Amino acid sequence: MRVVGALGRRALSVQFRRAQLLMPTFVLPLMLLAVIASGTSAAQGLEGFPDVESYLAFVVPGTIIQGTILAGLTAGIAMASDIEFGFFDRLLAAPVRRTSLVLGRLAGTLALSLLQTTFFLLVSLLFGASYPGGIDGVLATLVLAAITAVAMGAVSSAIALRTGSLSLLQSLFPFMFVMLFTAPAFFPQDLLVPVLRDVSVYNPLTYVVEGVRGMLGGDSALGDPVAGFAAALGLAVATTALATAALKQRLRRL
Amino acid sequence: MSVAFVLWRRSLNEVLRVRGALLPATIAPLVFMLGITGQFGRLTGLDGFPTESYLSWIVPLSCMQGAGFAGAAVGANLARDIEQGWFDRLLVAPVPRPLLVIGPILGAVTRSTVPATVVLVFGLALGAELTGGLPGLIALYVACAAFCATAGLWGVFMAVTFRTQQAGPLMQQGVFLAVFLSTAYTPLVLLQGWLEEVAHLNPITYVLQMARQATVVGIEPSLAHTLPGLAALAGLAAALGALAVAGLRRMGR
Repeated sequence: MRVVGALGRRALSVQFRRAQLLMPTFVLPLMLLAVIASGTSAAQGLEGFPDVESYLAFVVPGTIIQGTILAGLTAGIAMASDIEFGFFDRLLAAPVRRTSLVLGRLAGTLALSLLQTTFFLLVSLLFGASYPGGIDGVLATLVLAAITAVAMGAVSSAIALRTGSLSLLQSLFPFMFVMLFTAPAFFPQDLLVPVLRDVSVYNPLTYVVEGVRGMLGGDSALGDPVAGFAAALGLAVATTALATAALKQRLRRL
Repeated sequence: MSVAFVLWRRSLNEVLRVRGALLPATIAPLVFMLGITGQFGRLTGLDGFPTESYLSWIVPLSCMQGAGFAGAAVGANLARDIEQGWFDRLLVAPVPRPLLVIGPILGAVTRSTVPATVVLVFGLALGAELTGGLPGLIALYVACAAFCATAGLWGVFMAVTFRTQQAGPLMQQGVFLAVFLSTAYTPLVLLQGWLEEVAHLNPITYVLQMARQATVVGIEPSLAHTLPGLAALAGLAAALGALAVAGLRRMGR
């Protein structure tokens, strides 16, 4: 656990010591949120749009999930960078359990997600969002987002461990976003275009984003928190196993 | 001009000789086009939306986004050349400094036709309509090419100012923001609050209007829909060009 904690702290300090890394993880999702909240708020006039207190609070869950994807992607990019520049090889020579190298990276992603989600919720609150789900809803959202970020970090770490290519990981951004756009991230599921609505049923992030919406809105009609936690936990366990398998495969190739 | 031509060829070779180099720049706007259409497709049901096809509304935006990212890549490549010392060698050559960046910008404009065309073809295949015919198509490609060039000038300005590849996200996100702080998702009449004010002032709103003559039935090809876009592009090119040239003049002094 000490090694996991130390590697997690290292992952987090790299993020905060290089200001340019904060732009995509903290600033960009907020900018997109501001544009979507203002640019598409007329959608509340559409028939079938849920009766919500605050449109901004309705789209915040999409931003939170976007943040988890970016936090996860950052973990993969950092892992690929460590592999390409040789630092990962030095870690492999250390007398520690090798799975802790993956878990340490994911611990950093978890902490980053907690900070990120708190930041998004606070800024949105300042700009008029309201969270009828109260403090319980906010705390549960932080946990759900952190689990989802770990799942996303494990996916990108698995790819980094399999390929060891920094440029590949840097190009992964649009592909990871397919998961965001095939979930009802910024619009109710019933109002998505029919093809996307059908696809969204199979996307675990659908249940996560709706779970967050339900918890923040204090209304289970907006989303089922239990389904959200089940989807996020299932995804996190499966992808962490994938990352661990990728690490073992990499070690066999050495 | 032969210097600009040679550097144009060099920047094209970077794409032709690196397998899959254009893939991310092409896939990203495609994913955004499909994703945004899927999410917000029902917005066309609102009063004041000039078309019934949201895909037709988004296709020009995605074409411009692809072209803009191709332009911003000029800055990232220049920052790499500065960091690795290659640009220092070019600076001592007996040629006017602006020529050193004109070639790569022309290369980016050439490259930008790939994402713009792929996005357009996909959009048309998925149901967007070319309602503006040939004049609309010309307006779309001119808007994309000129937007790519202005994004290139922005990238050059960032590169000569910060002189590090770490400024890459600023170059990309400058383009991203310029596009999204406009009528990206909905027309001006449906924008609310601060974004309505910003979009009115943002020159990209008028460039988008020019590009949308190709596929949006409510924005028919006309001088009234073209001239504001051309004026906005000229203004952007003049302002960013002046900043880029001033930055280039400071290099090595």
